[in-house]
Amino acid sequence: MPMYGDLGNKLVQHAKRTQNLTHLPPYQTELVRAVTREVRDLDKDVASLLEPFQGSFDPSADQATACTLLVNHLSMRRNKRCLLAYHRTRTDKLEELVWNGSDVLDLAGQQAGGVNGAAADSGASSSLSPQEEDYFRQYGDLLAAYKGQWTDIDLTGSLEPPRDLFIDVRVLKDAGEIQTEYGAINLTKNSQFYVRQGDVERLIAQGYLQKLG
Amino acid sequence: MSYYDIDAILTDAEKIPCTFQVDIPDLGYLDNTPTQPLKAGTKVNLPLWLAEMLAIANTGDVDGKSFVAFDLPRAMGNDVVQALKADPRAVPLRDQSAHFYGLATHMMELSEEQELAASLRKTFVTRASEVALHARKVGGVGQKGKTDEGSNLGVGGAGEEFLRGLDEWERQLFRKAHDGAKSGKEWMDGVRKH
Repeated sequence: MPMYGDLGNKLVQHAKRTQNLTHLPPYQTELVRAVTREVRDLDKDVASLLEPFQGSFDPSADQATACTLLVNHLSMRRNKRCLLAYHRTRTDKLEELVWNGSDVLDLAGQQAGGVNGAAADSGASSSLSPQEEDYFRQYGDLLAAYKGQWTDIDLTGSLEPPRDLFIDVRVLKDAGEIQTEYGAINLTKNSQFYVRQGDVERLIAQGYLQKLG
Repeated sequence: MSYYDIDAILTDAEKIPCTFQVDIPDLGYLDNTPTQPLKAGTKVNLPLWLAEMLAIANTGDVDGKSFVAFDLPRAMGNDVVQALKADPRAVPLRDQSAHFYGLATHMMELSEEQELAASLRKTFVTRASEVALHARKVGGVGQKGKTDEGSNLGVGGAGEEFLRGLDEWERQLFRKAHDGAKSGKEWMDGVRKH
């Protein structure tokens, strides 16, 4: 027999799995809705339990009701914790993705194809909830504004000291024209270039380019 | 332990045997009989998040009785404890509870079982050094994320059996020890190259 809090537990198990994944699994819209519904039902129960007392409930005079109220309250509190932890796990992941320079569209692509960087955008629906997409975008804006304060240092750049200043790259998908110190390069699919690593680090991280050798 | 800690939340879902001390008409569903009142003396397995508060909340009685009395869960029962005393390394804790130590810590907070606490402490210390030993041995195998399941660790025989029986906390310990040893080795290799 299902008990209050069981659904919330399922949500947390999802979160546990999410922690060990590199991508973000689909948002559990139905489950989240069911847990919030449970909280609302519990709240209604509490209200109807308390109604006959007209605001003057004495727990020691009616132990059975006091216990039922406590169980309802604890169940609501438990559900709240499960909901918050689930969403927090996901926003942590989203923030990490923003720092790594991922794209919301890329995320949807990965979901469908499972191959990093491959053009898998087959119109698959996003694994993010609309609110999460908003969060992702706005966090990205915040990060950009923060980074903007230092023009001569790239906060999201690689921490590995480069072996060579210049590297060979192959273009995996069209990325248009980019400006470098040595002029403009037009990145069309399947072409190869010998470029300064610092100029293309971003594009490699985003899966447009592949580093060779 | 943080409010958002996923493992703490899952630990709180572990169930312990409880006995209700008062009649409660509306809580029959906890004993699978939603239409019947819950009688005092009924035994029900309740998750920690519920049992803990019901056990410490005061009913308002003069004699300070609480709503439920609880027993130690089977994972901490006599059989298991005797086995742990004999050889902590031989017991697959995971089969008792995936969050064995988390559960044990909660139980120790609720009850004063000095002797049990001492054997549990000894269990952890003994097993932790064994975990560290295994973690160093598997240095070569497994990238990050691959160490999740005990099965593909690439260690043979008894070691594999022991690692399968780790509880969640020990698994984390294993992962950290393993990743630490691996990073250390990689760093040393890097130093030599340059």
